[in-house]
Amino acid sequence: MKLFEALGGWIATVPELDVKMRLGTHCYHHAWHAELWHKRLPELREMKPERLTQPANEAMVRFIEAMTEPEAPELTIEKLVGVYRVLIPHFIAAYTYHRNNTSEITDAPTIRSLNFILQDEFDDWRDGEMMLQSLITSPADVERAAAHQAKLESIIVEAGGIAGHGSIGPSTVVDGPQLTPEPTTPEPTTTEPTTEGDA
Amino acid sequence: MRQFFPVEDLARDERFVQTNMAERIKDPRVPGGGSAKKKSSRSSTNKLTPDRHDASDRARGLMHGIMVGEIQALEGAGRTAHDFDAGDGSGDTIPFALKLDMARQAWDEARHVEISAKLSTWMGTELGEFQENTVLFEAACSNDPVLRLAGVNRALEGLAIDVFTQMKEFGDLAGDPFLEFCEDWMLADEVTHVKMGSDWLRKVTENDPDRRAKALEFQQVVDKLFSFGGARGDTAESSFQLARRFRELAGFTDDEVETIAGLDQQALVERKAAINAMQAAVADS
Repeated sequence: MKLFEALGGWIATVPELDVKMRLGTHCYHHAWHAELWHKRLPELREMKPERLTQPANEAMVRFIEAMTEPEAPELTIEKLVGVYRVLIPHFIAAYTYHRNNTSEITDAPTIRSLNFILQDEFDDWRDGEMMLQSLITSPADVERAAAHQAKLESIIVEAGGIAGHGSIGPSTVVDGPQLTPEPTTPEPTTTEPTTEGDA
Repeated sequence: MRQFFPVEDLARDERFVQTNMAERIKDPRVPGGGSAKKKSSRSSTNKLTPDRHDASDRARGLMHGIMVGEIQALEGAGRTAHDFDAGDGSGDTIPFALKLDMARQAWDEARHVEISAKLSTWMGTELGEFQENTVLFEAACSNDPVLRLAGVNRALEGLAIDVFTQMKEFGDLAGDPFLEFCEDWMLADEVTHVKMGSDWLRKVTENDPDRRAKALEFQQVVDKLFSFGGARGDTAESSFQLARRFRELAGFTDDEVETIAGLDQQALVERKAAINAMQAAVADS
Protein backbone atom coordinates (compact mmCIF):
# COMPACT_ATOMS: atom_id res chain seq x y z
CA MET A 1 0.00 0.00 0.00
CA LYS A 2 2.80 2.39 0.90
CA LEU A 3 4.47 1.55 -2.37
CA PHE A 4 1.51 2.38 -4.61
CA GLU A 5 0.93 5.59 -2.65
CA ALA A 6 4.56 6.63 -3.12
CA LEU A 7 4.59 5.81 -6.83
CA GLY A 8 1.36 7.78 -7.31
CA GLY A 9 2.73 10.76 -5.42
CA TRP A 10 5.99 10.78 -7.36
CA ILE A 11 4.39 10.97 -10.80
CA ALA A 12 4.03 14.76 -10.57
CA THR A 13 7.59 15.16 -9.26
CA VAL A 14 9.58 13.47 -12.04
CA PRO A 15 10.31 15.44 -15.22
CA GLU A 16 11.14 12.44 -17.41
CA LEU A 17 7.98 11.63 -19.39
CA ASP A 18 8.77 7.93 -19.83
CA VAL A 19 9.36 7.53 -16.08
CA LYS A 20 6.16 9.45 -15.33
CA MET A 21 4.13 7.03 -17.45
CA ARG A 22 5.77 3.92 -16.03
CA LEU A 23 5.19 5.07 -12.44
CA GLY A 24 1.49 5.43 -13.26
CA THR A 25 1.38 1.87 -14.57
CA HIS A 26 3.29 0.41 -11.63
CA CYS A 27 1.19 2.43 -9.17
CA TYR A 28 -1.82 0.42 -10.30
CA HIS A 29 0.04 -2.90 -10.20
CA HIS A 30 0.87 -2.42 -6.53
CA ALA A 31 -2.60 -1.09 -5.73
CA TRP A 32 -4.00 -4.31 -7.17
CA HIS A 33 -1.60 -6.32 -5.00
CA ALA A 34 -2.86 -4.40 -1.97
CA GLU A 35 -6.41 -5.20 -3.04
CA LEU A 36 -5.61 -8.91 -3.29
CA TRP A 37 -4.13 -8.95 0.23
CA HIS A 38 -6.95 -6.80 1.56
CA LYS A 39 -9.30 -9.57 0.48
CA ARG A 40 -7.12 -12.55 1.35
CA LEU A 41 -5.64 -11.67 4.74
CA PRO A 42 -8.92 -11.58 6.69
CA GLU A 43 -9.63 -15.08 5.37
CA LEU A 44 -6.59 -16.39 7.23
CA ARG A 45 -8.05 -16.97 10.65
CA GLU A 46 -4.74 -17.02 12.47
CA MET A 47 -4.11 -13.41 11.45
CA LYS A 48 -4.96 -10.68 13.93
CA PRO A 49 -6.87 -7.99 12.01
CA GLU A 50 -5.16 -5.14 13.82
CA ARG A 51 -1.82 -6.40 12.52
CA LEU A 52 -2.86 -6.55 8.88
CA THR A 53 -1.86 -3.02 7.96
CA GLN A 54 0.81 -2.41 10.55
CA PRO A 55 4.51 -2.08 9.70
CA ALA A 56 6.64 -4.96 10.92
CA ASN A 57 8.72 -2.78 13.21
CA GLU A 58 10.10 0.71 13.78
CA ALA A 59 12.98 0.19 11.34
CA MET A 60 10.48 -0.56 8.56
CA VAL A 61 8.74 2.73 9.32
CA ARG A 62 12.10 4.49 8.99
CA PHE A 63 12.76 2.65 5.74
CA ILE A 64 9.50 3.85 4.16
CA GLU A 65 10.19 7.39 5.35
CA ALA A 66 13.70 7.32 3.88
CA MET A 67 12.55 5.73 0.62
CA THR A 68 9.77 8.28 0.07
CA GLU A 69 11.82 11.29 1.19
CA PRO A 70 13.23 12.35 -2.24
CA GLU A 71 10.85 14.79 -3.92
CA ALA A 72 12.89 17.29 -5.96
CA PRO A 73 12.77 16.84 -9.75
CA GLU A 74 16.50 16.16 -10.00
CA LEU A 75 16.23 13.14 -7.65
CA THR A 76 14.65 10.63 -10.04
CA ILE A 77 17.60 8.25 -9.61
CA GLU A 78 17.12 8.18 -5.84
CA LYS A 79 13.38 7.58 -6.21
CA LEU A 80 13.89 4.69 -8.60
CA VAL A 81 16.79 3.16 -6.66
CA GLY A 82 14.69 2.97 -3.51
CA VAL A 83 11.89 1.15 -5.26
CA TYR A 84 13.60 -0.97 -7.90
CA ARG A 85 16.95 -1.78 -6.34
CA VAL A 86 15.91 -2.12 -2.72
CA LEU A 87 12.21 -2.55 -1.97
CA ILE A 88 11.07 -4.67 -4.91
CA PRO A 89 13.99 -7.14 -4.64
CA HIS A 90 13.04 -7.59 -0.98
CA PHE A 91 9.40 -8.07 -1.97
CA ILE A 92 10.41 -10.74 -4.45
CA ALA A 93 12.53 -12.54 -1.89
CA ALA A 94 9.83 -12.49 0.78
CA TYR A 95 7.04 -13.50 -1.59
CA THR A 96 9.13 -16.29 -3.08
CA TYR A 97 10.09 -17.62 0.34
CA HIS A 98 6.46 -17.60 1.45
CA ARG A 99 5.25 -19.25 -1.76
CA ASN A 100 7.84 -21.99 -1.46
CA ASN A 101 7.07 -22.73 2.16
CA THR A 102 3.33 -22.57 2.48
CA SER A 103 0.93 -25.41 1.84
CA GLU A 104 0.00 -25.93 -1.79
CA ILE A 105 -3.35 -27.33 -0.70
CA THR A 106 -4.62 -25.40 2.27
CA ASP A 107 -3.02 -22.08 1.23
CA ALA A 108 -3.62 -22.39 -2.51
CA PRO A 109 -5.51 -19.06 -2.77
CA THR A 110 -2.48 -17.26 -1.32
CA ILE A 111 -0.14 -19.04 -3.71
CA ARG A 112 -2.31 -18.11 -6.67
CA SER A 113 -2.17 -14.44 -5.67
CA LEU A 114 1.56 -14.68 -5.01
CA ASN A 115 2.16 -16.05 -8.50
CA PHE A 116 0.26 -13.18 -10.13
CA ILE A 117 2.01 -10.66 -7.93
CA LEU A 118 5.46 -12.11 -8.47
CA GLN A 119 4.99 -11.92 -12.23
CA ASP A 120 4.18 -8.19 -11.86
CA GLU A 121 7.13 -7.69 -9.53
CA PHE A 122 9.57 -9.26 -11.99
CA ASP A 123 8.17 -7.20 -14.88
CA ASP A 124 8.24 -3.97 -12.88
CA TRP A 125 11.72 -4.70 -11.54
CA ARG A 126 12.95 -5.07 -15.13
CA ASP A 127 11.23 -1.81 -16.19
CA GLY A 128 12.72 -0.01 -13.21
CA GLU A 129 16.20 -1.29 -13.91
CA MET A 130 15.93 -0.21 -17.54
CA MET A 131 14.82 3.28 -16.48
CA LEU A 132 17.71 3.48 -14.03
CA GLN A 133 20.24 2.39 -16.61
CA SER A 134 18.97 5.11 -18.95
CA LEU A 135 19.49 7.71 -16.21
CA ILE A 136 22.79 6.52 -14.75
CA THR A 137 25.28 7.73 -17.32
CA SER A 138 28.38 8.83 -15.40
CA PRO A 139 30.60 7.67 -12.54
CA ALA A 140 29.02 10.37 -10.37
CA ASP A 141 25.57 8.93 -11.10
CA VAL A 142 26.84 5.46 -10.22
CA GLU A 143 28.08 6.74 -6.87
CA ARG A 144 24.79 8.53 -6.18
CA ALA A 145 22.77 5.43 -6.92
CA ALA A 146 25.06 3.14 -4.93
CA ALA A 147 25.18 5.47 -1.93
CA HIS A 148 21.41 5.77 -1.78
CA GLN A 149 20.99 2.04 -2.23
CA ALA A 150 23.44 1.33 0.61
CA LYS A 151 21.67 3.78 2.89
CA LEU A 152 18.26 2.20 2.30
CA GLU A 153 19.56 -1.37 2.28
CA SER A 154 21.07 -0.85 5.74
CA ILE A 155 17.71 0.19 7.12
CA ILE A 156 15.75 -2.64 5.56
CA VAL A 157 18.32 -5.16 6.76
CA GLU A 158 17.90 -3.73 10.24
CA ALA A 159 14.14 -4.21 9.78
CA GLY A 160 14.71 -7.82 8.82
CA GLY A 161 13.08 -7.40 5.40
CA ILE A 162 9.63 -6.17 4.48
CA ALA A 163 7.80 -8.36 6.97
CA GLY A 164 10.38 -8.29 9.74
CA HIS A 165 12.97 -10.81 10.84
CA GLY A 166 12.32 -14.24 9.39
CA SER A 167 10.75 -12.82 6.20
CA ILE A 168 12.95 -15.09 4.17
CA GLY A 169 13.55 -17.74 6.79
CA PRO A 170 15.79 -17.87 9.82
CA SER A 171 18.96 -15.83 9.75
CA THR A 172 22.12 -17.68 8.82
CA VAL A 173 24.15 -15.40 11.09
CA VAL A 174 24.87 -17.22 14.35
CA ASP A 175 27.13 -15.78 17.07
CA GLY A 176 28.98 -13.34 14.90
CA PRO A 177 29.68 -12.68 11.25
CA GLN A 178 29.27 -16.23 10.04
CA LEU A 179 27.94 -16.00 6.51
CA THR A 180 27.94 -19.65 5.47
CA PRO A 181 25.12 -21.73 6.88
CA GLU A 182 25.99 -24.91 8.71
CA PRO A 183 25.44 -27.96 6.54
CA THR A 184 22.18 -29.56 7.48
CA THR A 185 20.91 -33.04 7.10
CA PRO A 186 18.10 -33.19 4.53
CA GLU A 187 14.66 -33.80 5.92
CA PRO A 188 13.38 -37.28 5.15
CA THR A 189 11.05 -37.26 2.21
CA THR A 190 7.37 -37.59 2.91
CA THR A 191 6.45 -38.91 -0.49
CA GLU A 192 7.58 -42.47 -0.10
CA PRO A 193 5.44 -44.77 -2.17
CA THR A 194 3.04 -46.90 -0.27
CA THR A 195 2.68 -50.54 -0.92
CA GLU A 196 -1.06 -50.26 -1.12
CA GLY A 197 -2.35 -49.21 -4.48
CA ASP A 198 1.00 -49.57 -6.24
CA ALA A 199 0.65 -51.55 -9.36
CA MET B 1 7.45 13.85 0.05
CA ARG B 2 4.88 16.51 0.89
CA GLN B 3 1.24 15.55 1.39
CA PHE B 4 0.01 18.14 -1.10
CA PHE B 5 1.92 19.16 -4.20
CA PRO B 6 1.53 22.70 -5.62
CA VAL B 7 0.87 23.20 -9.32
CA GLU B 8 3.87 25.48 -9.75
CA ASP B 9 6.19 22.58 -8.84
CA LEU B 10 4.88 20.22 -11.54
CA ALA B 11 7.96 18.58 -13.03
CA ARG B 12 8.47 18.84 -16.80
CA ASP B 13 11.39 18.28 -19.10
CA GLU B 14 12.81 21.14 -21.19
CA ARG B 15 10.50 20.50 -24.16
CA PHE B 16 7.36 21.69 -22.38
CA VAL B 17 6.21 25.33 -22.38
CA GLN B 18 3.74 26.22 -19.66
CA THR B 19 1.34 29.14 -19.73
CA ASN B 20 -2.01 30.23 -18.36
CA MET B 21 -5.38 29.63 -19.98
CA ALA B 22 -5.77 33.18 -21.29
CA GLU B 23 -2.52 32.94 -23.23
CA ARG B 24 -3.37 29.49 -24.52
CA ILE B 25 -6.77 30.68 -25.75
CA LYS B 26 -5.07 33.49 -27.70
CA ASP B 27 -3.33 30.90 -29.87
CA PRO B 28 -5.32 30.95 -33.13
CA ARG B 29 -4.14 27.43 -34.01
CA VAL B 30 -6.21 25.74 -31.29
CA PRO B 31 -10.01 25.18 -31.37
CA GLY B 32 -11.76 28.16 -29.84
CA GLY B 33 -8.48 30.04 -29.97
CA GLY B 34 -8.02 33.61 -31.24
CA SER B 35 -10.43 36.38 -30.33
CA ALA B 36 -11.96 37.10 -33.73
CA LYS B 37 -13.38 34.95 -36.50
CA LYS B 38 -10.83 34.54 -39.26
CA LYS B 39 -11.86 36.19 -42.54
CA SER B 40 -10.35 33.35 -44.51
CA SER B 41 -12.54 30.74 -42.84
CA ARG B 42 -14.62 28.89 -45.39
CA SER B 43 -16.59 27.03 -42.78
CA SER B 44 -20.09 28.04 -41.72
CA THR B 45 -19.55 26.67 -38.20
CA ASN B 46 -16.80 26.63 -35.60
CA LYS B 47 -16.84 22.86 -35.52
CA LEU B 48 -13.59 21.10 -36.26
CA THR B 49 -14.09 19.33 -39.59
CA PRO B 50 -11.49 18.15 -42.14
CA ASP B 51 -12.71 20.60 -44.80
CA ARG B 52 -11.70 23.67 -42.78
CA HIS B 53 -8.67 25.48 -44.13
CA ASP B 54 -7.17 25.43 -40.63
CA ALA B 55 -8.18 21.84 -39.83
CA SER B 56 -4.61 20.55 -39.62
CA ASP B 57 -3.34 23.12 -37.12
CA ARG B 58 -6.49 22.95 -35.06
CA ALA B 59 -6.51 19.18 -34.89
CA ARG B 60 -2.82 19.11 -33.99
CA GLY B 61 -3.33 21.78 -31.34
CA LEU B 62 -6.27 19.91 -29.89
CA MET B 63 -4.35 16.63 -29.81
CA HIS B 64 -1.41 18.32 -28.08
CA GLY B 65 -3.85 19.78 -25.56
CA ILE B 66 -5.30 16.32 -24.99
CA MET B 67 -1.83 14.91 -24.41
CA VAL B 68 -0.80 17.46 -21.79
CA GLY B 69 -4.26 17.13 -20.23
CA GLU B 70 -3.66 13.39 -19.93
CA ILE B 71 -0.29 14.03 -18.29
CA GLN B 72 -1.94 16.26 -15.69
CA ALA B 73 -4.79 13.77 -15.21
CA LEU B 74 -2.14 11.09 -14.59
CA GLU B 75 -0.41 13.31 -12.07
CA GLY B 76 -3.69 14.26 -10.40
CA ALA B 77 -4.91 10.68 -10.01
CA GLY B 78 -1.53 9.66 -8.62
CA ARG B 79 -1.60 12.49 -6.09
CA THR B 80 -5.10 11.56 -4.90
CA ALA B 81 -3.94 7.97 -4.40
CA HIS B 82 -1.06 9.39 -2.34
CA ASP B 83 -2.35 12.46 -0.51
CA PHE B 84 -5.14 10.98 1.62
CA ASP B 85 -5.04 8.16 4.14
CA ALA B 86 -7.50 5.31 3.84
CA GLY B 87 -10.48 5.82 6.11
CA ASP B 88 -14.21 6.34 6.18
CA GLY B 89 -14.14 9.37 3.87
CA SER B 90 -14.41 11.99 6.57
CA GLY B 91 -11.78 14.65 7.17
CA ASP B 92 -8.52 13.99 5.38
CA THR B 93 -9.36 10.38 4.52
CA ILE B 94 -10.83 8.59 1.54
CA PRO B 95 -12.16 5.03 1.32
CA PHE B 96 -9.52 2.42 0.52
CA ALA B 97 -11.47 1.40 -2.59
CA LEU B 98 -11.36 4.99 -3.84
CA LYS B 99 -7.57 4.99 -3.50
CA LEU B 100 -7.50 1.82 -5.59
CA ASP B 101 -9.72 3.46 -8.22
CA MET B 102 -7.38 6.44 -8.37
CA ALA B 103 -4.44 4.09 -8.92
CA ARG B 104 -6.39 2.40 -11.69
CA GLN B 105 -7.10 5.79 -13.22
CA ALA B 106 -3.38 6.62 -13.05
CA TRP B 107 -2.66 3.52 -15.14
CA ASP B 108 -5.35 4.46 -17.67
CA GLU B 109 -4.03 8.02 -17.94
CA ALA B 110 -0.48 6.74 -18.39
CA ARG B 111 -1.71 4.71 -21.37
CA HIS B 112 -3.57 7.75 -22.67
CA VAL B 113 -0.41 9.85 -22.47
CA GLU B 114 1.42 7.25 -24.52
CA ILE B 115 -1.42 6.99 -27.05
CA SER B 116 -1.75 10.78 -27.35
CA ALA B 117 2.00 11.25 -27.73
CA LYS B 118 2.07 8.70 -30.55
CA LEU B 119 -0.99 10.27 -32.19
CA SER B 120 0.66 13.69 -31.97
CA THR B 121 3.74 12.33 -33.71
CA TRP B 122 1.46 10.66 -36.28
CA MET B 123 -0.17 14.05 -36.93
CA GLY B 124 3.19 15.75 -37.38
CA THR B 125 3.44 17.54 -34.03
CA GLU B 126 6.48 17.84 -31.80
CA LEU B 127 6.10 17.78 -28.05
CA GLY B 128 6.05 21.39 -26.82
CA GLU B 129 4.98 22.85 -30.18
CA PHE B 130 1.88 24.13 -28.40
CA GLN B 131 1.76 25.62 -24.92
CA GLU B 132 0.49 23.79 -21.86
CA ASN B 133 -1.83 25.37 -19.32
CA THR B 134 -1.98 23.66 -15.97
CA VAL B 135 -5.55 24.33 -14.91
CA LEU B 136 -6.45 20.65 -14.85
CA PHE B 137 -3.83 19.89 -12.23
CA GLU B 138 -4.92 22.97 -10.26
CA ALA B 139 -8.38 21.40 -10.02
CA ALA B 140 -6.62 18.30 -8.69
CA CYS B 141 -4.81 20.26 -5.98
CA SER B 142 -7.74 20.84 -3.64
CA ASN B 143 -7.24 19.73 -0.06
CA ASP B 144 -10.75 18.26 -0.14
CA PRO B 145 -10.81 14.98 -2.09
CA VAL B 146 -14.49 15.48 -2.91
CA LEU B 147 -13.65 18.70 -4.74
CA ARG B 148 -11.06 16.77 -6.73
CA LEU B 149 -13.73 14.25 -7.73
CA ALA B 150 -16.07 17.05 -8.77
CA GLY B 151 -13.47 19.19 -10.54
CA VAL B 152 -11.38 16.52 -12.21
CA ASN B 153 -13.46 13.36 -12.60
CA ARG B 154 -16.80 15.01 -13.22
CA ALA B 155 -15.99 18.36 -14.89
CA LEU B 156 -12.69 17.81 -16.70
CA GLU B 157 -13.00 14.13 -17.51
CA GLY B 158 -16.53 15.03 -18.60
CA LEU B 159 -15.01 17.58 -20.95
CA ALA B 160 -12.72 14.83 -22.20
CA ILE B 161 -15.81 12.82 -23.15
CA ASP B 162 -17.01 15.74 -25.30
CA VAL B 163 -13.58 16.34 -26.86
CA PHE B 164 -12.86 12.66 -27.58
CA THR B 165 -16.25 12.27 -29.19
CA GLN B 166 -15.38 15.23 -31.41
CA MET B 167 -11.94 13.87 -32.28
CA LYS B 168 -13.31 10.43 -32.98
CA GLU B 169 -15.78 11.97 -35.42
CA PHE B 170 -12.99 14.06 -36.96
CA GLY B 171 -10.91 10.91 -37.48
CA ASP B 172 -13.86 9.21 -39.14
CA LEU B 173 -14.54 12.14 -41.49
CA ALA B 174 -10.84 12.53 -42.29
CA GLY B 175 -10.50 8.85 -43.16
CA ASP B 176 -7.99 8.30 -40.37
CA PRO B 177 -8.84 5.03 -38.61
CA PHE B 178 -5.83 5.32 -36.26
CA LEU B 179 -7.17 8.55 -34.83
CA GLU B 180 -10.76 7.33 -34.81
CA PHE B 181 -10.14 4.07 -32.98
CA CYS B 182 -7.58 5.45 -30.53
CA GLU B 183 -10.05 8.13 -29.51
CA ASP B 184 -12.79 5.55 -29.17
CA TRP B 185 -10.69 3.44 -26.80
CA MET B 186 -9.79 6.45 -24.68
CA LEU B 187 -13.40 7.60 -24.68
CA ALA B 188 -14.45 4.29 -23.11
CA ASP B 189 -11.93 4.84 -20.28
CA GLU B 190 -13.08 8.43 -19.73
CA VAL B 191 -16.69 7.33 -19.35
CA THR B 192 -15.45 4.94 -16.65
CA HIS B 193 -13.50 7.70 -14.90
CA VAL B 194 -16.45 10.08 -14.91
CA LYS B 195 -18.74 7.37 -13.60
CA MET B 196 -16.18 6.64 -10.91
CA GLY B 197 -16.29 10.32 -9.92
CA SER B 198 -20.09 10.42 -9.98
CA ASP B 199 -20.43 7.28 -7.85
CA TRP B 200 -17.79 8.24 -5.29
CA LEU B 201 -19.02 11.81 -4.99
CA ARG B 202 -22.50 10.56 -4.12
CA LYS B 203 -21.21 7.87 -1.79
CA VAL B 204 -18.72 9.96 0.18
CA THR B 205 -21.17 12.86 0.63
CA GLU B 206 -24.16 10.62 1.33
CA ASN B 207 -24.62 12.04 4.81
CA ASP B 208 -23.13 15.46 4.22
CA PRO B 209 -25.39 17.55 1.93
CA ASP B 210 -23.39 20.73 2.52
CA ARG B 211 -20.20 19.09 1.35
CA ARG B 212 -21.98 17.69 -1.71
CA ALA B 213 -23.47 21.09 -2.58
CA LYS B 214 -20.06 22.73 -2.27
CA ALA B 215 -18.54 20.09 -4.54
CA LEU B 216 -21.22 20.47 -7.20
CA GLU B 217 -20.82 24.23 -7.06
CA PHE B 218 -17.08 23.81 -7.64
CA GLN B 219 -17.84 21.48 -10.54
CA GLN B 220 -20.00 24.15 -12.15
CA VAL B 221 -17.20 26.71 -11.84
CA VAL B 222 -14.82 24.30 -13.59
CA ASP B 223 -17.45 23.33 -16.16
CA LYS B 224 -18.02 26.97 -17.09
CA LEU B 225 -14.30 27.72 -17.18
CA PHE B 226 -13.73 24.77 -19.50
CA SER B 227 -16.61 25.67 -21.74
CA PHE B 228 -13.96 27.94 -23.31
CA GLY B 229 -16.35 30.84 -23.62
CA GLY B 230 -19.13 28.66 -24.98
CA ALA B 231 -16.94 26.82 -27.47
CA ARG B 232 -18.65 23.71 -26.16
CA GLY B 233 -22.41 23.57 -26.58
CA ASP B 234 -25.35 22.40 -28.59
CA THR B 235 -25.41 25.18 -31.22
CA ALA B 236 -23.90 25.49 -34.68
CA GLU B 237 -21.53 28.07 -33.24
CA SER B 238 -20.04 25.48 -30.90
CA SER B 239 -16.58 24.12 -31.66
CA PHE B 240 -17.54 20.84 -30.05
CA GLN B 241 -20.78 19.31 -28.83
CA LEU B 242 -21.91 18.20 -25.43
CA ALA B 243 -21.81 14.38 -25.69
CA ARG B 244 -25.13 13.79 -23.98
CA ARG B 245 -25.38 10.02 -24.44
CA PHE B 246 -21.88 9.29 -23.11
CA ARG B 247 -22.44 11.65 -20.19
CA GLU B 248 -25.59 9.74 -19.34
CA LEU B 249 -23.56 6.49 -19.36
CA ALA B 250 -21.07 8.21 -17.06
CA GLY B 251 -23.69 8.82 -14.39
CA PHE B 252 -24.89 12.34 -15.20
CA THR B 253 -28.61 12.89 -14.70
CA ASP B 254 -30.64 14.70 -17.37
CA ASP B 255 -30.85 17.73 -15.08
CA GLU B 256 -27.09 17.78 -14.64
CA VAL B 257 -26.52 17.68 -18.39
CA GLU B 258 -29.02 20.53 -18.85
CA THR B 259 -27.19 22.54 -16.21
CA ILE B 260 -23.92 22.13 -18.12
CA ALA B 261 -25.64 23.08 -21.39
CA GLY B 262 -26.96 26.20 -19.64
CA LEU B 263 -23.49 27.09 -18.39
CA ASP B 264 -22.09 26.66 -21.89
CA GLN B 265 -24.75 28.97 -23.30
CA GLN B 266 -24.12 31.52 -20.56
CA ALA B 267 -20.39 31.43 -21.26
CA LEU B 268 -21.06 31.99 -24.97
CA VAL B 269 -23.27 35.02 -24.28
CA GLU B 270 -20.66 36.47 -21.94
CA ARG B 271 -17.88 35.96 -24.49
CA LYS B 272 -19.90 37.67 -27.23
CA ALA B 273 -20.64 40.59 -24.92
CA ALA B 274 -16.96 40.89 -24.08
CA ILE B 275 -16.00 40.89 -27.77
CA ASN B 276 -18.65 43.52 -28.58
CA ALA B 277 -17.44 45.72 -25.75
CA MET B 278 -13.87 45.35 -26.96
CA GLN B 279 -14.81 46.23 -30.53
CA ALA B 280 -16.83 49.25 -29.34
CA ALA B 281 -13.87 50.44 -27.33
CA VAL B 282 -11.61 50.14 -30.40
CA ALA B 283 -14.15 52.03 -32.56
CA ASP B 284 -14.39 54.83 -29.99
CA SER B 285 -10.66 55.31 -29.73
